[in-house]
Amino acid sequence: MGLTLPDGGAGTEVSTMSPNWVTTRLDFLSNWGRANSLWPMPFGTACCAIEFMASAASRFDLARFGMERMSFSPRQADVLICAGRLPFKLAPVIRKIWDQMPQPKWAISMGACASSGGIFDTYTMVQGIDTIIPVDVYVPGCPPRPEGLIYGIQLLQKKIKGESFLDRDLREEHLLRPDGLFLPAEKIDEVSEPFGNSVHQTRSA
Amino acid sequence: MTEASPSVAALRARFGGAVLRHLVSCGDTIVYVEAARLLEVMTWLRDDPGQRFDYLTDVTAVEYRDQERPLEVVWQLRSLGRKADLRVKVELDQRQPLVVASVFDLWKGADWLEREVFDMFGVSFTGHPDLRRILMWETYAEGFPLRKDFPLRGHFSRAEQTRQALSANAEAHYSLEELSIAAAYDELPADMQERLAHGERGGVK
Repeated sequence: MGLTLPDGGAGTEVSTMSPNWVTTRLDFLSNWGRANSLWPMPFGTACCAIEFMASAASRFDLARFGMERMSFSPRQADVLICAGRLPFKLAPVIRKIWDQMPQPKWAISMGACASSGGIFDTYTMVQGIDTIIPVDVYVPGCPPRPEGLIYGIQLLQKKIKGESFLDRDLREEHLLRPDGLFLPAEKIDEVSEPFGNSVHQTRSA
Repeated sequence: MTEASPSVAALRARFGGAVLRHLVSCGDTIVYVEAARLLEVMTWLRDDPGQRFDYLTDVTAVEYRDQERPLEVVWQLRSLGRKADLRVKVELDQRQPLVVASVFDLWKGADWLEREVFDMFGVSFTGHPDLRRILMWETYAEGFPLRKDFPLRGHFSRAEQTRQALSANAEAHYSLEELSIAAAYDELPADMQERLAHGERGGVK
């Protein structure tokens, strides 16, 4: 977190700074503002989007956490909420949306399908959106209840409040690698391995 | 209702040997016809005053687990005026190339239905004006997903599937041209032309 020099002076002047009273106060201020006015980019593809809409509506009221302003343009969004399964056909779309979002930005993977492919261990489905974009918070559930999503958002707020502008790696853009993938190929194969009940599917050859 | 539709007797009287056999299943009449004379039979079913099957409900295909059984292509016909249904089937030998005549010239609705059967089963419809994939993206290279020899998770590794998906053009599937509205503009009813001309995209013409 910027406390030590990585290789004896390759970093910029800011990264050589250690946290002091001024920087932590500045961090507190900016993180307080960011955490309490997240503008979500809803990427709703399935039933999780229904629960997401319920979270935003009056009974659960996402506005209590400063998230009432849904940003349907990625260029004005802070947090991408992938609510639902992601087929391979949509993989380049969510990647493009993620690349269009300016820093600082975070991602929430909502529900079992977005986080791991869920029950859709098939030829069409991305086995977890973390093989496409970096994810900050995973919300389990099928679909998660609005309380679950709100808890995930509170976890994200907690994470944001712990960030420091001295950590230069934090705001680094993670673009696709030269081989056209976000993660190394063997990593994708590893996290996409069948697990749980789907291991025993005879038709899955 | 266990009696066969009167269309069967009429078909046999008109086409004789081209009607291979028929059966009644759950009250629906199924007619197996010769692949070579399909177009002739379908034209007659649509145009004969006693038949008037003016609506093509669905085109699909069935492949059985028994590899010796032929693949069946299914046309579900409906006569809106007579309130009658008829299911027409053609059997295709799996050892031969899967080719059958397109009924696009009889029912315009066959366009996307035949594309879907081509996409999922690999059946080629001769005479179809625009036979390409419709559900999977056009560069999809793994084969035909609903065939029995297609593994549930696809042929390629997850990493390769992800790589190919991410290299796809995210804009390709959502253009106005894809929907062919602009191309069909002159054939549309006047009220629909009026609505499209003042659409939020500034109209198609």
